[in-house]
Amino acid sequence: MKQMHYFYFCKCYKMQRTYLGEFEELVLLIVAAMQGEAYGVGVMEELEKQAGRSANISAVHAALRRLESKGFVESGWSEATPERGGRRKRLFSITAAGSAALVQVRDVRVNLWRQIPGFTTNISLT
Amino acid sequence: MKSSNDHPPKWADRFLEWYCKPELLEEIQGDVYELFYKRIKEKGTETARRRFAWDVLRSFRLSTIKNFNLKLSPVMIKSNFKIAFRQLRKQRMYSFIKIGGFALGIAACLLIALFVRDELSYDRQYEHVDQLYRVVGTFKDDGDIQKGVHFPAPFAKAIKEEFPEVELAGRFNSSELFGAGSREVRREDATQNTYEEGFIFADQELLELLEIPIIQGDPKRALAEPNTIVISQSIAEKYFPNENPVGKNLILDNLTDQPQRIGGVMADMPSTMHINYDFLMTMSGVEFWPGEQEFWRANNYHTYVRLQKNANTEALEDKLIGILDKYLVPSMREAGNVDADKMIEKLSFNLQPIHQVHLHSEGIHDRLSHGDIRFVWLFGAIAGFILLLACINFINLSTARSANRAREVGMRKVVGSYRGQLISQFLTESVLLSVLSFVIGLQLAVIFLPFFNQLAGKSLTIPWTAWWLGPILLGSAVTIGLLAGIYPSFYLSRFKPIHVLKGNLSRGSKSAGMRNALVVFQFTTSIVLIISTFIIYRQVNFILNKKVGFDKEQVVLLHGAKTMRDKIGTFKKELTQLPEVSSATISDFLPIAGTKRNGNGFWKEGKTQEDSPVFGQMWRVDHDYIKTMGMRIVDGRDFSVDMPTDSQAVIINQTLAKELGLDDPIGKRITNTGFISEVIGVVEDFHFETMKEDIEGLCMAIGNQPAIVAAKVNAGDMDSFIPNVTKVWDQFSPHQSIRYTFLDENFAVMYADVRRMGRIFTSFAILAIIIACLGLFALSIFMVEQRSKEVSIRKVLGASIPNIFRLLTQDFLMLVLVALVIAIPLAWYLMQQWLQDYSYRIDIGWDVFVIAGIIAIFIAIVTVSFQALRAATDNPVKALQDQ
Repeated sequence: MKQMHYFYFCKCYKMQRTYLGEFEELVLLIVAAMQGEAYGVGVMEELEKQAGRSANISAVHAALRRLESKGFVESGWSEATPERGGRRKRLFSITAAGSAALVQVRDVRVNLWRQIPGFTTNISLT
Repeated sequence: MKSSNDHPPKWADRFLEWYCKPELLEEIQGDVYELFYKRIKEKGTETARRRFAWDVLRSFRLSTIKNFNLKLSPVMIKSNFKIAFRQLRKQRMYSFIKIGGFALGIAACLLIALFVRDELSYDRQYEHVDQLYRVVGTFKDDGDIQKGVHFPAPFAKAIKEEFPEVELAGRFNSSELFGAGSREVRREDATQNTYEEGFIFADQELLELLEIPIIQGDPKRALAEPNTIVISQSIAEKYFPNENPVGKNLILDNLTDQPQRIGGVMADMPSTMHINYDFLMTMSGVEFWPGEQEFWRANNYHTYVRLQKNANTEALEDKLIGILDKYLVPSMREAGNVDADKMIEKLSFNLQPIHQVHLHSEGIHDRLSHGDIRFVWLFGAIAGFILLLACINFINLSTARSANRAREVGMRKVVGSYRGQLISQFLTESVLLSVLSFVIGLQLAVIFLPFFNQLAGKSLTIPWTAWWLGPILLGSAVTIGLLAGIYPSFYLSRFKPIHVLKGNLSRGSKSAGMRNALVVFQFTTSIVLIISTFIIYRQVNFILNKKVGFDKEQVVLLHGAKTMRDKIGTFKKELTQLPEVSSATISDFLPIAGTKRNGNGFWKEGKTQEDSPVFGQMWRVDHDYIKTMGMRIVDGRDFSVDMPTDSQAVIINQTLAKELGLDDPIGKRITNTGFISEVIGVVEDFHFETMKEDIEGLCMAIGNQPAIVAAKVNAGDMDSFIPNVTKVWDQFSPHQSIRYTFLDENFAVMYADVRRMGRIFTSFAILAIIIACLGLFALSIFMVEQRSKEVSIRKVLGASIPNIFRLLTQDFLMLVLVALVIAIPLAWYLMQQWLQDYSYRIDIGWDVFVIAGIIAIFIAIVTVSFQALRAATDNPVKALQDQ
């Protein structure tokens, strides 16, 4: 019986939460910010520029693939580009579910920030 | 502008295309290419190429690897095995050669692995193994470096008092000069003496330091009292079966006034310890001469220390010199040596970790028998090569026979087999072969283990009970099977069905280059081993037959005569009365290793202060010594009984005369601080150590050294001599059985390790040749099969048998010749290195290479001939009628 209970618990846990790792969240934010122009190398450079994180391209690809399989981003192909040896870019853009996940994460954070006494945030909530 | 390096590494790109899922490939490849071009501008081509490869490797993830269609369902595995077994059965000859060669190689590897493991396991058993060190002293004099492990008696105590890092300091004295080595032993209540070896003097602290388990008796006080002794368990069982020996007495050398009380019984020293003794006599209360224990100018003690955890050994090594400044220098000054300070500057100390003593003691004079790390490497390398040879057979046979399986591959592909499945089929076959070979190889290893033990002078066993044995064997079997199978399986599975089924596959010739290279490699290895074997044997013969400067034939040594004490002179007289004996001598100093030695400094008279000493041996002999040993006086005369002054005279060897700078030594006087003697004769240099060393200076004087009596026996009288001498012996020493050896045999024992090396090389050379021949034989079968139609047509058109024979053998002969050309310089270089160890060595003559070459060519031709002759004499109709 106890084992059953444990599995049940795990299932619930998975269903209720939007899984968004810290790195994934960052990548998702960048994809959103780049407004449909996001692709592997572009995201990698933004990560470096905006967050000071140097990641290997394979890590970015893996994060993008995970986000896509969760339905947070969608992708399409660009035109062939000469700097890639005539290969196309896979362009990513954020989905509605992705936006919702971002908002949810942000809300949780802001809510928590507010509970810290003497710590005001200047984020305006919409 | 664009150099050839402006593109990414090809292998990385191909690797990416090979593993990557097609739907991800464009994205990943595009991104890494984009990054690559950007990095060329920013950081240069080299960095960009490196980073590209890194990106590709990092992208190799489970989520990016495509599905390789390795559908290894149980049914397919079963089918793979079934086909593999069928192949084995169908091609009995090839299977036998593949498995047999493999099994031989594996057996050799297993045995060598056991050997290497044993060598590496020395002195690892201590709890404090990382804190235990042996003190090694280095003496540098004009580029001449001498390393020794013998230190003054008070040295151990002094370093323990002086340096807090030293937790324990223990010593032992194994010098025969003071009664260590061998003794005659009996229980106090028995009368019959038995000869025993393995005596040393040791401190109580050494027991503790070397963590020697005391089974009976008080471990803390086993050697604490004067006149106590610790014996090993096997000795205890021999003398005190079913008794507790502790507290009982042993009598050594009939010295009834000095009974040795047994303070404890220790476990037998394990074979993996660098020292191995059975009797530890206490140092407590012992002084070999008055004041010896506080005397700094004699080095007789092996000294070991246990340091505190994480002690800085290098700093301690430097500080140790201070001990000498404090004690040795004043002592030397006292003795009148003004140059004490200069002497000290040439000395330095090392702390040798105890687990390195066995394998890393090259050049250290410790009179212990050691392994040699170079041999461990050499053996490991040989094992690797033999395994490689066996693998090469496997690869060669598999690719050579590709034509026979090409149709199978073609058919399988046509009916829908993936390449991955074919690869797995071939890999299954090779793993199966490998596992079978391991089973047989293990059997062979068990059979050959006793021979190998004899060969290597070890007592190795296969550790059946160890938990890791099974997994390691199975793991190696699978790994080697996979490695040996990779090339053939990729090669075979690459065939295009359309070519194969149309029949225009170039019948296994595509891989001929690779195959030829491998055959050359096999024969090169074999030839190097053959040449090495020859040279080692020559060196051994050279040593054993070299004029050594004394006559070692027909000399019988009678050991343990010390117990006769003052009757020994009469014994010698009786001995010379025997009709078979031409002369006899009493001396413990003999020109064979393992007898008594010492070290002394010599000067010309009155030059002790000005000149630095000439080091050499000071031997105590009697009047008949030179005559009995058959040494030659080149100048002056032998000792004579008629000249009473001869008791103060010395005979020196040529080396000592030269080193002292005595052009006309007769009548000159030399000194060794203790005495001044006149030189009455010069003896021709003779070898008294192994020929690895130069002949040292030597000085002989009349003196009493009564443990060994040597008798020169007339030619042909040996058979009657032994019973006669036994009778005489029993009159003088009824409670001790006679023990004799022959000088020439003792001499040969000195070179046992060289002979052993020779035998080991022979075995491996034979093994390598067998494996190489198996491969060549199988290849020749294949070749003859392939060319049977060609041969038949040539015969029909009138080719003679010798023509055909030459046609079929010349290719192989070429390969062997190429191997010979590679092997000769290689072997020459290697053996030159080996011979460096010997001060007296042979020159490597060209004839060795010629003989080795002839042998290799002969073996190769004989191997190939079987098949070539068969093909040449077969009826051509047979080969031609089937089409």
